[in-house]
Amino acid sequence: MNSAFPCQFRQAPASRRDFLWQVGGGLGGVALTALLAKVHAASPQNQNSLAARPAPSPARARAVIQIFCPGGLSHVDSWDWKPELAKRTGQPFDPTGKLQFFASKPGNCQGSYWPFRQHGRCGRWMSDLFPRLAACVDDLAFIHSMQSKSALHGPAMFMANSGFILPGFPCMGAWVTYGLGSESENLPAFVVLPDPRGLPPGGVINWGAGFLPAVHQGTPLNTDPEQPPIADLFPPKDFAGLTPTSETSGRNLLQTLNRQHAATRAGNTELDARIAAYELAARLQLSAPEVTDLRGETDATKRLYDLADEDTGPFGRQCLLARRLVERGVRFVQIYCGAENTTARKIRPNWDSHEDLVRDHGYWGRVLDTGGAALLHDLKARGLLDSTLVICTTEFGRQPGAQGKGRDHNPGAFTAWLAGGGIQGGTSFGTTDELGFQAAEHPAYSYDLHATALHQLGVDHERLTFYHNGVQRRLTDVHGHVIQEILA
Amino acid sequence: MQPALRSSTLLIAAQLVAQLCAVTSLAADARLQHWSVQPVRTEFPKDASVDGFLRAKLAEKRLAMSPEADRRTLIRRLSFDLHGLPPAPERVARFVQDADPRAYEKLVEELLASPHYGERWARHWLDIAHYADTHGFERDQLRPNAWRYRDYVIASLNADKPYDQFLREQIAGDVLAPNDAASVIATGFLAAGPWDFVGQVETKSDVLRRAARAGDLDDMVTQVITATMGITINCARCHDHKLDPITQQEYFSLWSVFAGVKRGERNVSAEDTRRFTDEKARLGKALAATRTRIARLTGEGFELATLLPADSGIQVQNGSVTKDKLGYHRDIQVNRLQKVEAVPGVKWVFIPDGKGEVNVDFKLPVSGVPATSGHFWDTIANRPLNAQRSTTLGGTDFAAKGHRLLAMHANSGITFDLPKLRELSGHQALRLTGIVGFGATPEVASSRADFTVFIDATLAFQKLKLRKDEIAALDVQIPATAKTLTLVATDGGDGIGSDLLFIGDPKLAPRAAESRLTEAEAAELRNARAELTKLEAELKSLAEPAKVYAVVSDAQPPVIKVHRRGNPEDETIAAAPGTFSWAAHAKAAFGEESMPEGERRRALAEWITHPANPLTARVLVNRLWHHHFGQGIVATPSDFGLGGERPSHPELLDWLASEFHHSGWSAKHIHRLIVTSAVYRQSSSTFQSRVPRTPKPLDIGMSSYVDASNRLLWRQNPRRLDAESTRDAVLAVSGQLNLAAGGPGWRDFKYTEAYAPIYDYVTADTPELTRRSIYRFVVRTTPHRFLTTLDCPDPANFTPARTQTTTALQALTLTNSEFMLRQARHFAARVEREAVSSLSPQVTRAFQLAFARTPTEAEAQAAITLVRTDGLFALCRTLLNANEFMYVD
Repeated sequence: MNSAFPCQFRQAPASRRDFLWQVGGGLGGVALTALLAKVHAASPQNQNSLAARPAPSPARARAVIQIFCPGGLSHVDSWDWKPELAKRTGQPFDPTGKLQFFASKPGNCQGSYWPFRQHGRCGRWMSDLFPRLAACVDDLAFIHSMQSKSALHGPAMFMANSGFILPGFPCMGAWVTYGLGSESENLPAFVVLPDPRGLPPGGVINWGAGFLPAVHQGTPLNTDPEQPPIADLFPPKDFAGLTPTSETSGRNLLQTLNRQHAATRAGNTELDARIAAYELAARLQLSAPEVTDLRGETDATKRLYDLADEDTGPFGRQCLLARRLVERGVRFVQIYCGAENTTARKIRPNWDSHEDLVRDHGYWGRVLDTGGAALLHDLKARGLLDSTLVICTTEFGRQPGAQGKGRDHNPGAFTAWLAGGGIQGGTSFGTTDELGFQAAEHPAYSYDLHATALHQLGVDHERLTFYHNGVQRRLTDVHGHVIQEILA
Repeated sequence: MQPALRSSTLLIAAQLVAQLCAVTSLAADARLQHWSVQPVRTEFPKDASVDGFLRAKLAEKRLAMSPEADRRTLIRRLSFDLHGLPPAPERVARFVQDADPRAYEKLVEELLASPHYGERWARHWLDIAHYADTHGFERDQLRPNAWRYRDYVIASLNADKPYDQFLREQIAGDVLAPNDAASVIATGFLAAGPWDFVGQVETKSDVLRRAARAGDLDDMVTQVITATMGITINCARCHDHKLDPITQQEYFSLWSVFAGVKRGERNVSAEDTRRFTDEKARLGKALAATRTRIARLTGEGFELATLLPADSGIQVQNGSVTKDKLGYHRDIQVNRLQKVEAVPGVKWVFIPDGKGEVNVDFKLPVSGVPATSGHFWDTIANRPLNAQRSTTLGGTDFAAKGHRLLAMHANSGITFDLPKLRELSGHQALRLTGIVGFGATPEVASSRADFTVFIDATLAFQKLKLRKDEIAALDVQIPATAKTLTLVATDGGDGIGSDLLFIGDPKLAPRAAESRLTEAEAAELRNARAELTKLEAELKSLAEPAKVYAVVSDAQPPVIKVHRRGNPEDETIAAAPGTFSWAAHAKAAFGEESMPEGERRRALAEWITHPANPLTARVLVNRLWHHHFGQGIVATPSDFGLGGERPSHPELLDWLASEFHHSGWSAKHIHRLIVTSAVYRQSSSTFQSRVPRTPKPLDIGMSSYVDASNRLLWRQNPRRLDAESTRDAVLAVSGQLNLAAGGPGWRDFKYTEAYAPIYDYVTADTPELTRRSIYRFVVRTTPHRFLTTLDCPDPANFTPARTQTTTALQALTLTNSEFMLRQARHFAARVEREAVSSLSPQVTRAFQLAFARTPTEAEAQAAITLVRTDGLFALCRTLLNANEFMYVD
């Protein structure tokens, strides 16, 4: 089923607009609209066209929350139990001396820095790095055989997000909104919650729309409670010359001028779309601050997410915001748990633990464990977990052979997990070899993870395509299998 | 070379036939008959014209063109199309009132002759070259000299450089005319795309390096072939092209053409560079001698930091001197003395780990160096280090004039040669003075470091676990017999993060004043000081030789092998330099594997610009058409293969291509043909257009019904301003546009050097930052939010045609961003300045500036009402958001 090369099925559209509609037709008549942004065809009289469209096939999930842990989360210290590795600790990992990792030659085998135990009814093994998430293990489905095509942060980040190691390709969130639109009338369809410490490796293009229309790019939400949640949502506070009345009367004159202008240019729907966009912008000024205002949350919820804690609080806030966004109909939320290696600091600003894994994974482990477990509990308690697919992933794993007190990059194996949204908890797919060096059974790539996520949303990854420079592009390139083994 | 090629048409035809016959199995392949690879027609009716071809097609559908748009519409359309700028109200008025029947043609000539033409059309070319001013990927570093290529494109377009020459220079200019600066700069085209520093340079893994290089070559080949010939060659990377008859072997033959080419900074002129190096060496020597004379006479002491050339550092891996700022070094050999040959007075540098024996000189072990991680950052330098946030210690900024610093990030050691320093300073008995501390700001995480001084093997000074807010004063007596002085910075046992140690004003002072000056000596001192000032000024004014980010080549490229399924680790048979044979105008095989690097690119450049190449001219005239109508004759401007669109007007395309050839590849000639046509001058309204010779005019929408997407061009297409034109138009209307042309890109961001550099955008509102958008310094990983929101594409992609979206975020950005608000304020101030101070003329002026027309009575009334209550600013802000401002009819 994956033999089709994308180059084969070019069906040339007569115009860009026709093209969008044709692709829409390919998705079972889905109009490709995403909110905050309709590509053409919107008119003030036709607000319903902003609503979400049904998925082409039955969907198990309505929304996705993806937690991304940039830097490379060590699978052998967390989700992937490797007793043989522990046994061989201190013995040479590569007696031939031929291997060369990203930044080092491998040292000795190094077992997990945290002990592993069995948890839950399923009895799966998890390390003590994640005590709270371990309590959720019966909801988690692990893919232990994940691999990446690059051992470099930039390209591997791009691959994990877009399926390609080069920049310029649309990420999963952009593809999803391109395919399904948004259920929210007043919020962006695809929202990103970056780590407050900074951007991930590769920068904002990790949530870019690539060659898809820019409307599908992720909208970053400012997680700082002191700042407006979306850039330019309001004029700068200190800008002189603005009055509340000038806002309204200026807007009224604008719409009058625009309507007169459009009236003499019948048939140009772009003009109507632009008038509608200004009306949506006005609605967004009300809806966006409401999402980030946490005053309505109970103390119990705030404690659950550990909001008051200096280290874990910011990520807890990101997770709580993700829940609030999904509650309000946002289709795709991506949370970053870690930033970029901007400077060599005492604690790495992400999971890239070359020098001191206990120090850095110890710190980030507590962060992910607290916020991630709170999110799963909260979604479940509110009945949202069934319809929300939660994904936790990273760009690659870390080596079982030591690099001093740390571990080097390992594109040969890492673990991702999924929960909710029609996923069978307490299961796993694929394995790594006895040391956790390479994927062994059922090697999987981002293609398979993406294909599975799209499947849960009711979209066939082979049919979600966009023509660009001679190729019908897909999120999954020419690859990808839905991982049936972890579906409920 | 051109005339020779032109005279060989017969030969070409013979080659073509020979090739087709040789490949008999392909002869039956219908794909060889694909329209775009057939020779361009040469026979046309005598009276052929753009309008003739268009009218014929419309008549087939019983449609007709719309009437000509009014002059105000035409001048606005032409200005944005040819300049990317709105017309000045005065020019609009002059044109509207011009009684000359050739007023329109005069306007076209005026616009084509203006330098703004090149600025506008360079944008389109840079889109398909995916040009930017940084590398992209994780470590998105600056390309400070890439702009020369951007200026080359602008200048070439303005000069209407023959397009074949323009292409040849960009593919092989350094080979064709190595002594011509413009030709060398032109190859910036090949280097314009993204490049992964970590994969190409930083990683230690050869597998990763090969993967990065494969991505690099694919990008180069794809760019050259899609930009010039509109063939999606990249589809043949993993397998034979699925649609077009292009084999994987042919794709890798193109790799072979570029196999010896790498992206990199290079000097524009070898001669200038040599002159610069010689002159700099001469001045450096003279300066050192003069400083020594002064030091000897005054007993002022000797600045250790001046041993190094200005703004330089010593690389600890090999002891060489560099101006570059480097990053993180780990897994390099510790405790190993690296000889420093280039700096007189410095013997060694090394990285101590304090665990094994640390030698500070040949066979001179010392004890007392604390244990370290053995990692290091950047270089030992007489300028601030990479990521150094502060150069101030105890209130003194040591980067300021009159001070010097020697930066030594942990872990590093440097050993000075005392006999040599005595000779340079003219003093025998010395003492070392200076202040040691951190170049980090206090907010950075807590970090400690140690500083140790050895004289020979004796520990002469040590400060352990220095805190970030601490400083230590150095004052070490140096015996007259001592041979080495060694300074060691170590990491305090907690890793090297933030250990940005440096010494302020490190000096070897005489132990006591050695003498009082005689009169003769005083005179000599005055002379020496005057000489010093002169030499320093000369050095400062010495212009660095011009550099450009372009290509660096190896004379003998490596052998390229076909990659099975595109996997660089799975190589099969070799691919000699060549190209694909589908376009059969000239031989596709260029030579053997021994072919020299430059000859390969020369061969490709000639193959692409060959007068019989069926694609090159068609692709270019179609691109021009695309930007004049919003849609090409071929609607897929970079795909002329079987997967692309077929031309809506094939004869017109060929006629334009043939005109292009006959005009000597003049793009301006094609512009003229297009914009002076009646097709271009039509109204964009859907109200007109009818079936010809019908007694009763049809209602709205007859043409819309027959040809909704306007493929036959029964009207002009209304178009929205793209991101850059929007920004430029806003600035033009507000009166803030700075039309200064060329030079390094303007940077409306704060740049922080770091492992992954940080780009923090600021609101542009100074003349330096309100230049045209084409001169922007384009950052890949951190795109410009304002422009990206308005659909400015990611320069990772080749963008032959821009996509356009209409979003609420655009509405927010245009109403609320600080940039727009400030420009609205400038716009209001301009209106107040330029119109008499009463409301009606002010409103009129505002409309003229924004829309190139006066307001209607009703509009004026509504506008006046708004200005009365909320001021001119509110009106100006509204006009800049209006559809009429954003759209061109």
